[in-house]
Amino acid sequence: MGLNWLQEILTKIECVGPFDIRRLPEDETWVVIPFDKVFDFVKLIMEDDSTWHLSAITGQDTDGQIELLYHFWLGHGLTICTRLAHENPQIKSITALIPGAAFYEREAAEMLGIGFTDLKDESVLLLSDAWVKGCPLRKGKKEKHDD
Amino acid sequence: MMTKLKIPIGPHHPLLKEPISFLLTVEGERVLESSMRLGYVHRGIERLCQERTYVQAVHLIERICGICSHVHSTTYCHAVETLLGLEVPLRAHYIRALLCELERIHSHLLWLGVLAKNIGLDTVFMYTWRDREIVLDIMEDLSGGRVSHAINVIGGVKIDLDHKMMDIIIEKLEELAPKLTIALGLFENEPTVRLRTQSIGVITKEEAARHCVVGPIARASGVDIDVRRDIPRPPYDGLEFNVITHTAGDVWARTLVRIRETRESHRLIQQIVSQLPSGDIVVKAKRRVPPGEVVCRFEAPRGELFYYIRSDGSNQPARIKIRTPTLPALSTLPEQLRDVNLADAPVILSGVDLCIACADR
Amino acid sequence: MSVITSILRWARKKSLWILHYNSGGCNGCDIEIVDLLTPRFDIERLGILAEASPRHADVLLCTGPVTAQSKDRLIQIYHQIPAPKWVIAVGSCGCSGGIFTGSYNVHGGIDKAIPVSLYIPGCPCRPEAVIAGILKLSETID
Repeated sequence: MGLNWLQEILTKIECVGPFDIRRLPEDETWVVIPFDKVFDFVKLIMEDDSTWHLSAITGQDTDGQIELLYHFWLGHGLTICTRLAHENPQIKSITALIPGAAFYEREAAEMLGIGFTDLKDESVLLLSDAWVKGCPLRKGKKEKHDD
Repeated sequence: MMTKLKIPIGPHHPLLKEPISFLLTVEGERVLESSMRLGYVHRGIERLCQERTYVQAVHLIERICGICSHVHSTTYCHAVETLLGLEVPLRAHYIRALLCELERIHSHLLWLGVLAKNIGLDTVFMYTWRDREIVLDIMEDLSGGRVSHAINVIGGVKIDLDHKMMDIIIEKLEELAPKLTIALGLFENEPTVRLRTQSIGVITKEEAARHCVVGPIARASGVDIDVRRDIPRPPYDGLEFNVITHTAGDVWARTLVRIRETRESHRLIQQIVSQLPSGDIVVKAKRRVPPGEVVCRFEAPRGELFYYIRSDGSNQPARIKIRTPTLPALSTLPEQLRDVNLADAPVILSGVDLCIACADR
Repeated sequence: MSVITSILRWARKKSLWILHYNSGGCNGCDIEIVDLLTPRFDIERLGILAEASPRHADVLLCTGPVTAQSKDRLIQIYHQIPAPKWVIAVGSCGCSGGIFTGSYNVHGGIDKAIPVSLYIPGCPCRPEAVIAGILKLSETID
C-alpha cells in the first residue's frame, strides 16, 4: 500500500484534531477520532479523493460505550471509529455530504438508539410497526414486539 | 387539476417476488413521488449470529438470501479465517470462486427473466429460466443442492472437484453460451425492447457515488468499481477478466452490463477449471477466535458485499455487521421514481434487481 | 351429492389455482416455486395456475417464517381468498420458523398466523416436492 496514501490521510486527520491509528487485516486503516470531528473529516476526504466510497456505517455496543464506525473505500480501506456516550448518544448526521448514508444511519439509530442530528427522515427502517421499545443490538435483555 | 392518488405496490404484488411496500403518489399517469417501507423480511440475523457459535453462524449466514447464499458464506468464512490467521489452501479459494461465478450467472439469468416478464416479454422469461436450469444442474452435481450449497466451512471447502466433474462443468457451460448470445442480441438490437428500457430510471455517475451505489447499477452509470479487481485475492489476481461498464445509467445499460458480465463469468470459470491447483481443500480451524476486528469485502452478483466482524476471544462473535449491495440501490428509488410515467414504474423496480431478503436481513 | 356439486368438486381437484406469498423468507423456496412456472417443471400441465390476486386463488402457497411486520398482511391476504381455500406452508421456515426461530422479529411458522392444511419441509424445498405436495392436497379435497 502506498505510503503516500497513508501520509495524505494523516495530514487530513491532523487538521481536525487528536487521533489514534492502527492497521487491520486485509488492507484496512483504522482511525479513532472524537465524535464532533467526524463531519469535518468526512468533508476533507470527499474534497480531494474522487474515488471515495462509503461501504457501511456500523454501530456496536462495546463495554460501557457505543462505537460508531464509518467504513470507507478510497482505493484502500479506511474505517473511522468514534465513541459515543452509552446513555443518549448523539452525533451529527453526514447525510448533508452523502445522501446515501441515510439508510445506514437510520438502521444504527433504531438498532442502538443513536440520535443523528440533521437526519431528515428518522422513521424506522427495518423494525416492525408493532415494535414496542428497546434496541435489539444493545447488550442485555431483548425487548419484544407487541404480540 | 387532477386529483392525486396513492397507489400501493406490495407487500404482496405480482411484480414483486419478495415483500416490500412502495406507495406511489400519482396524478393522472405521472408518478410524482414515492415512499417505501422495508422490514417485512427482517429476521434479526445480526443479533441471531451473536447468540450462535462461529460454526453455527455459517448455516445462518447462508440463509440470509437464497440467490446469493454462497457469496455470503464465502465472505463470512474468509473474514473469520483472517481473524484466526489461517492459511487456506489455494485449491479451496479456486473452488469457492468457481461457485461464486456460477452463482453470478444464475443470479443474472434469474433477474433477466424477471425483467423480461415485467416488461411483457413472457417468452424470454421462460427461455432464460429454462437455460438457468443448466447452471442449477451443475451446482447440484457439484454440491448436492440447487439453491443452498453448504460447501463452505471455516478453513476451506468440504467438497472436492474431480476430472469428471470439471468436464461436466465445461460441457454444460458450452451448451449455455449460444443462448446468452441470443439474449444479448435481443437487448442490444430489438427496437421495442430498447424503447421500453432506454432512458428509464437514469442514475448519473455523480448520483451513483452520492448514494453509495455498488455493482452493476454503479458500473452502468460509469463508476468503475469491482471488488474482484480492486482487492486482489486468489484466484482473481491470477485470472483475466474485464470489468464491464457503460455510461447511459438507465435500465437498458444495466441489462447490457449484466448480460456481458455473465459472459465474463463464463470465461472466468473456464480459466478456474483449467488452472485448478492440486492440494488440500481445508485446514483445521480452532473454535475460539482470538480477539480482533476484520473488514471483508467480496463481489456478490449485485455488488460489493461488506462484512465487519469483531471477536472478543470466545467461540461466539461479539458483533457481525452485514451490508448487502441492495440497500444502497434501494435508496436511489425515490429519485428514480420521481416524475415518471406510471407504466415505467415496474421497469424501474425491476431494473434495480431487488433482493429484499438481503437488504432486510 | 347433486351432479353440479360433484362436477364442481372434480373441477376444483383438477385445477387448483395458487397464490404465492413470501412472508419473510430468504427467497430460496420462492425461486424454486417460481421455477414451477418454467418449462422444466411446468405446473400448468397439471391444471395449476399461478394467480396474481388473492380473490382468484384456491391455495395460498406460503414461504418463510412469519415476521412481525408481515403477520397482519398475511392474515389479510388469507381472509381475501374466497372459501373453499387451503394453505400450504412451504419450506422449513414456513413449517416451524426454521433456522430463524428465537429471533426478536420472528413469530414462528405460518401456522402462528393462519391455519395450515399441508406442510412441505425442505431448506430449500425442491420444486418436485412442491408439486407432490399440491397433488397430495388435491387428493384430500372432497
